[in-house]
Amino acid sequence: MIFLTVIARLADGLPLAASIQEDEQSGRDLQHYQSQAKQLLRKLDAQSPDRCMLEAGNMNFCYFISQGVCCLCLCDASFPKKMAFGYLEDLHNEFCEQYGKRVPAVTRPYSFIEFDTYIQKTKKSYVDSRARRNLSSVSTELQDVQRIMVANIEEVLQRGEALSALDTKASNLRSQAEKYRSDARFLNTRSTYAKVAAVVLVFVTLIIYVRFWWL
Amino acid sequence: MSTAGFNSQNGTGTGQTYTNGPSQNPVALQQPPGVGYGMNHQPAYNPMQTKVLGPPSPALYASGPYQPVPPGPQLGSYPPPPAQPLLTRPPIGVLPSHTPPQSASPGPGPRQAQATPPAQATPPPPAVTSTSYYTGPPAWQYAAPRGPAPNHVNPAAAAPPHMSHGSAQPPGPGAPPTSIHGYPQPGTAPPPMNPPPPHTYQPNRPAYGPPPTAPPAGPPGATGTPPPPKVDAQSWGAASSARPPTEPDTQEGDVECPGDVAGNGPQAPNSYNHVDNRMAGAAQPGPPGRHLGHYPSLPPGYQNTLAPPPSSLHPALQAATQPYIQGPQPYQQQPGGPGPDQLSPSMAAMSLQSGTPEALRVVNLLQERNLLPPAPVPAPTPCLTQDLQKLNCSPEVFRCTLTSIPQTQSLLNKAKLPLGLLLHPFKDLSQLPVVTSSTIVRCRSCRTYINPFVSFLDQRRWKCNLCYRVNDVPEEFMYNPVSRSYGEPHKRPEVQNATIEFIAPSEYMLRPPQPAVYLFVLDVSHNAVETGYLSVFCQSLLDNINALPGDSRTKVGFITFDSTIHFYNLQEGLSQPQMLIVSDIEDIFLPTPDSLLVNLNECKELVQDLLKSLPNLFEKTMETQSALGSALQAAFKLLSPTGGRMSVFQTQLPNLGVGALQSREDPNQRASAKDVQHLSPATDFYKKLALDCSGQQVAVDLFLLSAQYCDLASLGCISRFSAGSVYYYPSYHHQHNPAQVERFQRDLKRYLTRKIGFEAVMRIRCTKGLSIHTFHGNFFVRSTDLLSLPNVNPDAGFAVQMSIEENLDDMQVVSFQAALLYTSSKGERRIRVHTMCLPVVSSLSDVFAGADVQAVTGLLACMAVDRSVTSSLSDARDAMTNAAIDSLSSYRQSALTIQQPGLLAPACLRLFPLYILALLKQKAFRTGTSTRLDERVFAMYQLKYQPLAFAMLMIHPALYRLDDLSDEGALNINERTIPQPRVLQLSVEKLSREGAFLMDAGLVMYLWIGRNCHQNFLSQVLGVSSYAAVPEKLCLLPELDTAESQRTRALVSWLRDQRPFFPSLHIIRDESQLKPHFMQNMIEDRTESALSYYEFLLHLQQQISK
Repeated sequence: MIFLTVIARLADGLPLAASIQEDEQSGRDLQHYQSQAKQLLRKLDAQSPDRCMLEAGNMNFCYFISQGVCCLCLCDASFPKKMAFGYLEDLHNEFCEQYGKRVPAVTRPYSFIEFDTYIQKTKKSYVDSRARRNLSSVSTELQDVQRIMVANIEEVLQRGEALSALDTKASNLRSQAEKYRSDARFLNTRSTYAKVAAVVLVFVTLIIYVRFWWL
Repeated sequence: MSTAGFNSQNGTGTGQTYTNGPSQNPVALQQPPGVGYGMNHQPAYNPMQTKVLGPPSPALYASGPYQPVPPGPQLGSYPPPPAQPLLTRPPIGVLPSHTPPQSASPGPGPRQAQATPPAQATPPPPAVTSTSYYTGPPAWQYAAPRGPAPNHVNPAAAAPPHMSHGSAQPPGPGAPPTSIHGYPQPGTAPPPMNPPPPHTYQPNRPAYGPPPTAPPAGPPGATGTPPPPKVDAQSWGAASSARPPTEPDTQEGDVECPGDVAGNGPQAPNSYNHVDNRMAGAAQPGPPGRHLGHYPSLPPGYQNTLAPPPSSLHPALQAATQPYIQGPQPYQQQPGGPGPDQLSPSMAAMSLQSGTPEALRVVNLLQERNLLPPAPVPAPTPCLTQDLQKLNCSPEVFRCTLTSIPQTQSLLNKAKLPLGLLLHPFKDLSQLPVVTSSTIVRCRSCRTYINPFVSFLDQRRWKCNLCYRVNDVPEEFMYNPVSRSYGEPHKRPEVQNATIEFIAPSEYMLRPPQPAVYLFVLDVSHNAVETGYLSVFCQSLLDNINALPGDSRTKVGFITFDSTIHFYNLQEGLSQPQMLIVSDIEDIFLPTPDSLLVNLNECKELVQDLLKSLPNLFEKTMETQSALGSALQAAFKLLSPTGGRMSVFQTQLPNLGVGALQSREDPNQRASAKDVQHLSPATDFYKKLALDCSGQQVAVDLFLLSAQYCDLASLGCISRFSAGSVYYYPSYHHQHNPAQVERFQRDLKRYLTRKIGFEAVMRIRCTKGLSIHTFHGNFFVRSTDLLSLPNVNPDAGFAVQMSIEENLDDMQVVSFQAALLYTSSKGERRIRVHTMCLPVVSSLSDVFAGADVQAVTGLLACMAVDRSVTSSLSDARDAMTNAAIDSLSSYRQSALTIQQPGLLAPACLRLFPLYILALLKQKAFRTGTSTRLDERVFAMYQLKYQPLAFAMLMIHPALYRLDDLSDEGALNINERTIPQPRVLQLSVEKLSREGAFLMDAGLVMYLWIGRNCHQNFLSQVLGVSSYAAVPEKLCLLPELDTAESQRTRALVSWLRDQRPFFPSLHIIRDESQLKPHFMQNMIEDRTESALSYYEFLLHLQQQISK
């Protein structure tokens, strides 16, 4: 079963098309997955592996990146990997054919929401077990599916967080170091002044002493 | 601290622009426009953020305005201080502002003749329409610094009529009784009055007189710069918008600096610093029109009592007390006068405080007969500087009951007027700027959208006008897409338009935008088939199926029901629609969940097939029961995954399954019962279901077509809480009631094709210190101040009540902002923002001067509907009467300094008792007359739901005489000439047997033909030979090729075009069955059970003087 499908621009994670969840029973907790999907799309960039399956509880996120467009779907853990990627590739081909040239120019989220119609139709044919058999020919082309990377969604999402935490720590460190440096400089100057003042004081005392007692 | 943070964030460019100040920066201008676009603040939309409000109080007057405050003691505190007369003295040459600008020749001719002689000195252009009162203040302030003496000079010299006016106005608080004598003999008054001033001050006139007259003709708005053109979204949208998290913003500067805030005040945005000289010029008064209505208004009582010699006192008085008398004079060319720059702050401040003299003119309601203006009552203009007013939101969209907000709650309580807003947020607008931007600039603490009334402290910071927090201007906002220039944030469309629409970024979406989904739930029981509505519906939908708003994702579905529920499988690939019958109505389920709602584009032929066959399908049905509740549950199940619109057509009382209702109405009690029962729902089933629907973004629109009682009070809940609309066609029948059929057809056409917004929410924000506590309209309130609107349509109005929580002492203006976030039928998420700005006043007379009588009536009607449901109808009626009594008596006791006999009201509230009486006689609230419960409840729904303009027609219909229509003063729209007859009072004395009269009561129009109606009218307009030949049931004006017929039809169709629903027209004779309906709307006349207008006034007077 495929619950959620999002097509987004890779460069900035702008969602271009999506399919609204149809399922009543699981509708409530999909909100959580939706926000995870959003985060994930922002995290992905050109360096990310172009096919990947991410485990998120008893669901799997599968995504497929090509030509600057990322297709992402959320499916049951039991849903065959082969089918999921077949589905994503199918969507990707159709999407790029229809809208591929306009992708870099759009600014509005969900600019191609009308693609939803196609997504739903395709989904139906992949999810329907009777129709699946007809698709077997398609899926044989995906023999290398076994080599698809599998990771955990939390890791992927938190990797960025760890990095940014490191980043903040580093910058904290740097700012603290700077503060230390300026503080140290300030202290130095102050002690210098103190020394100079002491010397001056001694001299003045000496002069006064010489002036009044010696002469 | 904030600037440091800001600079470091924005990099190098900032230093330059910053130092250059608000003026254009050539360096900045050369920068490539896209320069700053990478940087965006993207405040995450947080739908849950709330403002803390007082608990909503459903009670009609719980808000406080009506708490009994003994008015007596305050009297003492209201002596006219020196400033007082200045503010309140109404009389000055203001009368014409009654007459709306378009009527160039207002009122009776003879008076005009009288008026002109005094004006001979400098006759300004005769088109005196620019007299709307707020043009006055600026000019007056302008001159004010020169001191009282010159002030006196000017009015006398340039416009003698003022003088006589000012002195003639009896009631101005500051005006001494002596001044009243001016008018006892209207004809003779001007000569004695005027000569002295001209003599004395003649020398001055050349200096100022002529020059200013040049610009006066234009109405104030015309002098302003034209609004910026619509922004083309694509032209400047940043292609790639990085998404920095919002945290940096919040860390970097809590710029709040209370001291600053207080010091700067809301005034003085740098964009408004300059004073437009033209506005002084535009203030030219219009002497010729000024006298209108004044002479007759003088109650005889005054003429007798007050008659000291005029000449002795008035010059001195005027000099001393009325610097503002020169209000209407334009003097900006005064040599040696202060330049505009020096003056602007004082002007701004003063104009905010200045009263509107006309609005405060005292009217003795018992004496004055012709109160109704000859054309529709215009909305009052808030007393703001022209710069602000020019930018302000249209009153059609946003109206406040008090256009001058009282400073404290106690002042509001004293005025005894309700404080509230009336909104029409999704109105169809002809011109709406749309902005696409990856950053929507909003206040960081209260989330207010940037608007024309914020102040820019400098180029990099703006101060919110609602919470006074200082915010940074994002880099992207520095570029102005309209002028393609950089460094002028105050010229951006967001800051130039009070009504604007944003395309929302994905932060504003909880889920992908939903498609347009329409589900039709049709009653097909025997009763429904009898009415024959099904074929009309199917035909309408067939005709408009391509005009349904939506894109290629649009989905439709159909459910029919009698005692069972019928679904229609319309899946692609079927050769014809499949009907699936579910008879288990106790536990309803969907037979095939995914093929009942189908894509309209792909299955259009199946849908058309179904619509063609549907009327015949049930022709022979004998099933009389109706399982509406189960059908609604099924429809909800079908729609809940996506959300959308459910249109329910019902023709009888649901009597089977869940939500079954019993008849609660006793027809014999309709007229006799003292109090009306059963206004509240019988079951909460419909309300609960509506709340479920609201949660799933489903709105339910109810079409009720029934001759019998249907318990609309219960059924209506389904629409009320899901933000739907209710349509009611009593006694609908396809043969017996063609007028209803036509109405149904036209309403359906509008309903199917009008704009629609899905999954909408609306929030209304107001300046700190004010708080919103009660909402009226169709919606569900989520989280105290967030209105959940599963659907929003352009015909829905809303009202809110407000109270003043903290004193608004140091504020000169307050602002209100309504933001409506919705998904358009094309799948775009958009935010429509309206902002209104109003002045704050500290004196009671100013509060009265700013009262908007229509808005007050509209809000009172909403409050009274609530009161009749929660308490009782008689309570609501009493409350309305008391509202009139309280406000007038408080006016009499606190705002008037001179006590005079009679029932006195300020001119702006002169229609208030009439409207209250109209409300008491309105279907919703009337007693004693036979009124069906459903019709009463429907009228209540209409009062709450209709935008003010239409609700006012339902409260106080307009009456026109049709047999003497002429093209004089006609409007010309699209080469059609539309005559504009006078609005007549609703009294039988205005009818004449020789005439034909059109009564426009909102949902229905009556054309009453007098028994001796001119032969000419009968033959030229109705196409009949004699009165006797007028058919009994005529609903259509024949299309004759005569001038009279064309005029009449032009008027009727113009009136119809003005509103989103279709009023049916009934042509009635004296013997017609509908004559009682016509006569019931004659509000000023006595009926068996209700007072006449005069009696009502006497009643009020009696109560007030008690």
